[in-house]
Amino acid sequence: MFLIFALITLLGALAMFRSRNLIVAGLCLVLCFLGVAGLFLLLANPVAAALQIIVYSGAIVVLVLFVIMLLNSHEEEAAAQPHRIQRWLGALAAAVLGAGACKAVLSSPGLVRIGQESPARVMDLQQVGTSLFQQHVVAFEAAGLLLLAAMVAAVALVKKEL
Amino acid sequence: MNSALLQGSLQGYILVALLLFVIGLATVLIRRSLLVQFMGIELMLNAANVALLAFARYRGGDVQGTVFYLFIIAVAACEAAVGLALVVALYRHRHTTDSDSADALRR
Amino acid sequence: MHTTAWLIPLLPLFGAALIGLLGRKIGKTAVAVIGVGVVALAFCFALRAFFLAGSAPDHRLESLSFTWMSTGNLSVPMGLVFDPLSSLMALVVTGIGALIHLYSVGYMWEEEGFARYFAYLNLFIFFMLCLVLGNSLPLLFVGWEGVGLCSYLLIGYYFETDYAPAAGLKAFLTNRVGDLGVIIGMMALFAHFNTLTIAELLTKVGHLSPEVGFGVLSFATLMLFVGACGKSAQIPLYIWLPDAMAGPTPVSALIHAATMVTAGIFMVCRLAPLFQLAPITLNVIAWVGGLTALFAATIGLVQRDIKKVLAYSTVSQLGYMVMALGAGGFAAGFFHVFTHAWFKALLFLGAGSVIMAMHHEQDLFKMGGLRSKLPITFWTMLLATLAIMGFPGFSGFFSKDEILYLAYLKHPALWVIGVAGACCTSFYMWRLMALTFWGEPRDHHAYEHAHESPWTMTLPLVVLAAGSVVVGYLGIPEAFGGHFSIGRFLEPSLAYGQLHVHEGHHGGPAILLACVSTILGLGFGLFGFLSYRSGTALAESRAARFPLLHRILLNKYYVDEGIERVILSPVRGLGRLLWQVGDVIIVDGIGVNLPAALARLAGDLLALFQTGRVRNYTLGMVLGALAILWIFFK
Repeated sequence: MFLIFALITLLGALAMFRSRNLIVAGLCLVLCFLGVAGLFLLLANPVAAALQIIVYSGAIVVLVLFVIMLLNSHEEEAAAQPHRIQRWLGALAAAVLGAGACKAVLSSPGLVRIGQESPARVMDLQQVGTSLFQQHVVAFEAAGLLLLAAMVAAVALVKKEL
Repeated sequence: MNSALLQGSLQGYILVALLLFVIGLATVLIRRSLLVQFMGIELMLNAANVALLAFARYRGGDVQGTVFYLFIIAVAACEAAVGLALVVALYRHRHTTDSDSADALRR
Repeated sequence: MHTTAWLIPLLPLFGAALIGLLGRKIGKTAVAVIGVGVVALAFCFALRAFFLAGSAPDHRLESLSFTWMSTGNLSVPMGLVFDPLSSLMALVVTGIGALIHLYSVGYMWEEEGFARYFAYLNLFIFFMLCLVLGNSLPLLFVGWEGVGLCSYLLIGYYFETDYAPAAGLKAFLTNRVGDLGVIIGMMALFAHFNTLTIAELLTKVGHLSPEVGFGVLSFATLMLFVGACGKSAQIPLYIWLPDAMAGPTPVSALIHAATMVTAGIFMVCRLAPLFQLAPITLNVIAWVGGLTALFAATIGLVQRDIKKVLAYSTVSQLGYMVMALGAGGFAAGFFHVFTHAWFKALLFLGAGSVIMAMHHEQDLFKMGGLRSKLPITFWTMLLATLAIMGFPGFSGFFSKDEILYLAYLKHPALWVIGVAGACCTSFYMWRLMALTFWGEPRDHHAYEHAHESPWTMTLPLVVLAAGSVVVGYLGIPEAFGGHFSIGRFLEPSLAYGQLHVHEGHHGGPAILLACVSTILGLGFGLFGFLSYRSGTALAESRAARFPLLHRILLNKYYVDEGIERVILSPVRGLGRLLWQVGDVIIVDGIGVNLPAALARLAGDLLALFQTGRVRNYTLGMVLGALAILWIFFK
């Protein structure tokens, strides 16, 4: 099960990375996010899985696709000049980071130790709500404020004349 | 150990998160379209989410992980709104979504 | 007294400010009324101060107002002093100044910058009064510089021409040389006596006896005399005065004949007790003055421009005054300043009247026969000519005779020089008169249109003419049975703070000397008159007989050319060298442009990383993060 979802996730991400067509890339992103939602289910966290599907693969990707349609720029433009150094250095940096991190993960005894104790407890919404409105109520309000500010900023940026 | 990895141990989740992050990073570094770069950023955020929830699961189903996941979603939504607004604004000025064309700071 | 005393200099300043700021708005008539009015009013106050000072104890009034500057052991009060010398000079400045202002109304009426002219002229009167009435050397120096500035402004009045600004600049720069001397002299005096207030200085000087050899007094007085040379146009700094004739004619009369150029002589008189103590300086002064008197007079013999003749005449007369100072005759020198102010101002104003009648023609050889056309100008100028040549009974006779007598007592050779100069003076003055007023008109067109000037111009002529005749009787020399009363009148000033008054030596054949000089002067005057009465032919034939001499005189002994070659060219070369090497290469190149080029190079290198592309920056960030991770986890 884990392998399937992990493969869906990574392949979706890779397909998005490789895709020339922006709409195809967006759809691949949806696939990737669905895989992530599956992973969340496996982690005994249906709340997060539901949110992932609703917010990410629902709202955000729809927003991105909407903008793609709006701007009518389906294809990536040909580069005005080739940026080979940027390309190869970028790939190299990503590869080094990935390889280094994989090595660190695989050789870490701490991770194995934490992973062994596994009392699987299903996360339920009530617990989340309680924690959110008791311990994190200030952060919650701040997040609300942030969303408001983002909304105002987006409107201010895009509206032609205020 | 390998079988544990394939069946979903903590290391397996972290590994998936890392690869997701690297792919997102590569997207941002190598692709020029602002929209694709934007998707790469979303990928990286999701990688963080995966790692966060995996750790929470193996700490006995900690609620904090999910709460922080909620906050990350909120920030990601803000980022999506403002970032896409910026893309639209740039497109209005330059009629392109190529991030390399937005190099006016240089001049 | 206190307030009205300050009104004397401040009224012209007020007039200058008013005219300078509002001159274009209030119209010519208002400008004329204000310009003449403030000077006339100042004259009234000066007259009052003159009589108040005369009846005061010590014949001296001082009006202090405040401490001007106080630093270290230097304390300079701001104050005006009225003693016989300064109050008489103030009367001359305001009185003749008022007349010339009035004359200017007529002379300048058609000019574009009428208001500008009067603003400058009023400002000049203010600075001149500062110079004359100032109670300290710094205040005197402020006036000294101020009149130099006004002189510069007024010489360059016709600034749209080529020669006038150049002449103004020449006057200014030449005066700078002298001003440096004044500053050095002032510093030397302060270093020695610890004061710059004139009264204190003279009191401290009072108990000293004449200096033997060359000491600090000789040095300081010599430096001050350098300043006097600049201002009063003595050899070798006289070169600016003839060029200064580029200014309007009333300016030549007021500044470059009657008042400003006598400032040097006035300063020496002001510090007379000090100069008395420096025999070396007095010798230098006497010889410089005598040589200038003769030298300038010979140049005046052949000049064709009516104003140039008068300019060299002024230089020559200033030479007489300076010679008198050198001979120890401070009163005689100042007496000549006083009489000269009248008749030379009159000559210039008369020349201005002639020039205006001839439609701005200044060449003597184009005039002629104007006697009947300009009767008032003719008669007044005739009186002035008699005065300057020393015709018995006229003012110049008394003052010049006293100077020649003192020169004889100093050294007989000085007397010979002086008499030779006087002969030249008579000659060129009668040449000027004959060419202008006698003979046939040489420019018929201008002659036909010549007419007498308006009353604003003729009234000052008449007043000055009357003055030229009578002011000499203020100082009849003792040789002619007089008391030289002006000398007695000035004594409180000239011997201020002196414990023992220097008695002039007397004796010698005074009457004989006077007769010889007068007869010679009359003879040469007649010679000049007869040579030029009927035209220029005789003169030209004579010039042809002595071509070399004529050319040297006509070119003013090539002094300007010599200065150009000996001083100006090397200085210019040095300047060019400093400019090309010092400034362009060292300062601009190595000092400024090189660091700028380095900074730009560094900036260009760094700009390679400043691509403006967000991806490149992200990559940089990632690489940086990788580097940090590497450091922590290696």
